[in-house]
Amino acid sequence: MPHDVTMPQLGMAQDAGKIVSWLKAPGDPVAKGDALFEVETDKATMEVEAQADGFLTGVVAGEGEDVPVGSVIARISESADDDTPAAPAPTAEAAPADDLPEGKTVTMPQLGMAQDTGLLVSWQKAPGDAVAADDVLFEVETDKSTMEVPAGLDGFLAATLAQAGEEVPVGDPVAIISAAKPDAPVARSVAEAASAPAPAAAAPAPAKTVTAPKAPAPAPKPQVAVSSTDRILASPKARRLAAEQGLDLTRLAKAGHPQPYHVKDIEVLRALPSEAPTAAAAASARRLVAEVAEDGLPGFQRWMSEAHGVNDADAILAGLAGASLAAGATVAIERAGLTRSFATPAGRTLSGVAETEDAPDLILRDLRGSPLRSVEMGAGPEPVLTLTNSGAGLTITLECDPASLSPQAAIQLLTDFAGRVEQPLRHLL
Amino acid sequence: MSPAKKAKTNTEDYLRMYRQMVRIRSFEDNANQLYLSAKMPGLTHMYSGEEAVAVGICEALTDSDRITSTHRGHGHCVAKGAEFKEMFCELLGKEEGYCRGKGGSMHIADQSHGNLGANAIVGGSMGIATGSALRAKLQGSDDVTVCFFGDGATAQGLLYEVMNMAALWNLPVIYACENNGYSEYTKTEEIAAGSITARAEAFGIEAHQVDGQDVLAVNDLTQKLVARARKGEGPFFIELMTYRYHGHHVGDINREYYRSKAEEKDWKENRDPITRFRHFLVQEGIASEDEIEAINAEVEKDAADAVEYALAAKYPDVSEVDMHVFAD
Amino acid sequence: MREITLSQAVNEALAEEMRRDPTTFIMGEDVAEAGTPFKVLSGLVEEFGTDRVIDTPIAEPGFMGMAVGAAMTGARPIVDLMFGDFIFLIMDQLCNQAAKTHYMSGGKLNVPLVLRTNLGATRRSAAQHSQSLQALVAHIPGLKVAMPSSAYEAKGLMKTAIRDNNPVVIFEDKLMYQDKAPVPEEEYLIPFGVANVKREGSDITLIATSSMVQVAEKAAEMLAAEGISAEVIDPRTIVPLDEEALLKSVRKTSRAIVIDEGHQSYGVTAEIASRLNEKAFYHLDAPVLRMGAMDVPVPFSPALEDITVPTPEGVAENARKLCAGEMIHAA
Repeated sequence: MPHDVTMPQLGMAQDAGKIVSWLKAPGDPVAKGDALFEVETDKATMEVEAQADGFLTGVVAGEGEDVPVGSVIARISESADDDTPAAPAPTAEAAPADDLPEGKTVTMPQLGMAQDTGLLVSWQKAPGDAVAADDVLFEVETDKSTMEVPAGLDGFLAATLAQAGEEVPVGDPVAIISAAKPDAPVARSVAEAASAPAPAAAAPAPAKTVTAPKAPAPAPKPQVAVSSTDRILASPKARRLAAEQGLDLTRLAKAGHPQPYHVKDIEVLRALPSEAPTAAAAASARRLVAEVAEDGLPGFQRWMSEAHGVNDADAILAGLAGASLAAGATVAIERAGLTRSFATPAGRTLSGVAETEDAPDLILRDLRGSPLRSVEMGAGPEPVLTLTNSGAGLTITLECDPASLSPQAAIQLLTDFAGRVEQPLRHLL
Repeated sequence: MSPAKKAKTNTEDYLRMYRQMVRIRSFEDNANQLYLSAKMPGLTHMYSGEEAVAVGICEALTDSDRITSTHRGHGHCVAKGAEFKEMFCELLGKEEGYCRGKGGSMHIADQSHGNLGANAIVGGSMGIATGSALRAKLQGSDDVTVCFFGDGATAQGLLYEVMNMAALWNLPVIYACENNGYSEYTKTEEIAAGSITARAEAFGIEAHQVDGQDVLAVNDLTQKLVARARKGEGPFFIELMTYRYHGHHVGDINREYYRSKAEEKDWKENRDPITRFRHFLVQEGIASEDEIEAINAEVEKDAADAVEYALAAKYPDVSEVDMHVFAD
Repeated sequence: MREITLSQAVNEALAEEMRRDPTTFIMGEDVAEAGTPFKVLSGLVEEFGTDRVIDTPIAEPGFMGMAVGAAMTGARPIVDLMFGDFIFLIMDQLCNQAAKTHYMSGGKLNVPLVLRTNLGATRRSAAQHSQSLQALVAHIPGLKVAMPSSAYEAKGLMKTAIRDNNPVVIFEDKLMYQDKAPVPEEEYLIPFGVANVKREGSDITLIATSSMVQVAEKAAEMLAAEGISAEVIDPRTIVPLDEEALLKSVRKTSRAIVIDEGHQSYGVTAEIASRLNEKAFYHLDAPVLRMGAMDVPVPFSPALEDITVPTPEGVAENARKLCAGEMIHAA
């Protein structure tokens, strides 16, 4: 098998080497380790050794030429008669694309060590021109310098696939050279090529990342102007609680309550007189109120604790409320600024009520013990049941969006729940 | 014993030494090609020219003896018994590499053959080698540890701290200083005052200078020192006079500002350890030219196959990135 | 339960583990007959001999490097580094060699060694013998870092460290060697990565390491008298860090102060505060505060040195402000 002779990567930041002289002539026998040619890089000249035994054939780069690193410049064959020119390293068989002439592709060569693309500076041949292997085909600019890239093989320039001024990723096709004079030579840009089927490019080395030219940075997003006086200073937790409870911190600010707001200020906010609901809001909210003569919950909690070892008052309350909804609802209990959510199982078992992170289907706001007697907060995303004291008994308010509960369902829910609160033991029957 | 007579009794050993040196050269030639053709990530430091040092020493050791290696470590690794496939896979960052692709050229470790690993800090493994010897002494084990380092590393203070302790406690460690004449891009005489062996002698450590291009000389000396170290007579110091054919690393091409081409040519043509030993083997009738060529061809094929295998091998899964930060 | 000093606790841990595992040995400067300047190792050489309690020359990189080599080949060395400040001398062996060997070898080589050293200012030892450099070590992947806060932790963590298959750095507070604490007679180990809630509370969490745990506990006492309930948590190891325990506490209290004796900038306090901020943000009712040593070399004069480290009064003062909702560091 013939052995390719390539321009080696020598220095740490070297793109190409100039062939100073060939030390063997085409057809000469060579042994592995023989000095084959002399290369000049940076400032020094060095000899490059043959990596195989055989005969030097297919020399495509002459003395004085700058050759990109990795390009095949000759071949060591088993016979001195092998006269096919060595193919340039970065070329590959062009896949027969619909609108591209047949031939070998010339790709953007890998030049620097950390180079992803090359800027095509200019074409030295026009589509349709006859080219010889050592003719300069185009000029490329990399980090430091501009260099000429030879055609690498004889033929005709059948297609140019990038325009001067375009960045081409290393390994991507730049031109096609055909053996016969093309009938319809093609000239197009990388941008156009992107929309057309691309010819198969030489597979990049596995370690190299070939990145496409950078797309222009997206225009910066317009900044929403926020006046500093609009910004409310509040702790992350206070903000979260307010949002969860449908409370508006700006009302505290309007009321002149000093910032920054913390969790304790949420209580103050809750105690602010509610704003008159707008007509639209009033129309869009359902509000039902039930009165029960007796708060059965404390006694029930004691009984649950003693008889069943269930001590969590919130869980019990959630279980009672959840049972008034369809099976398997999540109920959030809000008390004294804290919110806990519970998954209530189907059926009536209170021991199966478990704390959860899920979003609630129903919120139960327990304001027993607060001075509030009546609430009108407007509808939130979920139905809200509010417990307030009323003499020895309780007032139970249900507020919801008409979309979330039909009138029948709302009446059923509140009636059911009021019954359970007044006589919780009924729940277990 | 005359060399000829000795040669006959050691035919198998000699042929293995020859093969090991050729394996190192072949490994490095292939690694160099992988770099030149941009198929290898990162860069590497070639051991070519110094083969007789690694092989002469490691052939005097067993698998339970330990070595620590350097940034120029492929030779030590091969000489200590490593396989091509796992080494090339490691060089290419592949999953089947000795270190699952996490170490690369400068950190190959081969626990199974007692190679505690290459080290990318110049002189960085001197403590490790001496500590391995301390462990051997404390545990009453008779293994010996060889610490490979270059002339450049003699400038590191750590060497003097650990040689002091090794000498105080008679540790079974051999400091093998590969003097290839250059500390990176600087002549050794510009970085090292006085004598290198005298540095060890100052601690009362027996020091030898040996021709590092003569595998038999290196091997004979090492065998004697290893045997004595096993008996508790260590530590020892060897300065091995050798030469690196390539630059400091594969990209160090324009070297004439620090050494001449004529000098390189002289070492390659007149002092090559492989050529010299080959000549000896043929002259002593240990192997014919054909047999030598057969070994060369076999090694070359092994290397080519391993390269091909490693190029096609798969990279480690990304899930391995945070594996092995801590041991279980 | 009996009470012993931190120094005795370390000594007991070493002796027990050295009896248990013949591959363990101690090396360092003046560790044998001298038993170190702090006398922590007194008596060990009598039991284990100079082969296992090895006096080295004053050559920290040398003996640290040797410990790495011994650990890689089947021993479990315990390195005694007389002052934590000398970590700078052994950085290559600790961070480039010990920490990376397991990873670089693809898991084939282990480095089971313990580096015993210390931290802590206010001993009038000036800038090169007073530093608390745990953050430097904790920054390097592959090293575990334990910070005992009492004799009990010192013993349990040391025993775990010696049995761990990784390089572990233990920082003992050199001012606490004579502090006594209850330590059981029977054997116990303290697992790494498990924080200890030293005191429960509901208003604010004080996360503290090493001797700063005592500082936090004293602050909590002062706060309790004012009706502020402070929780004190000791992570015990900062690598691995029991992040869940810290987050759980902060989610409960909504406020936190992190206290560590290393320099405040780019330190342990910054790392922990940052994690709380990332993972408990919506539970925070106040900014998380860091309290570390002042960003100055530790001064010699007592008048200056004492003001460079966190104090119970300082911690309590900051806790009061956070609980009162005062603006701290706000624009």
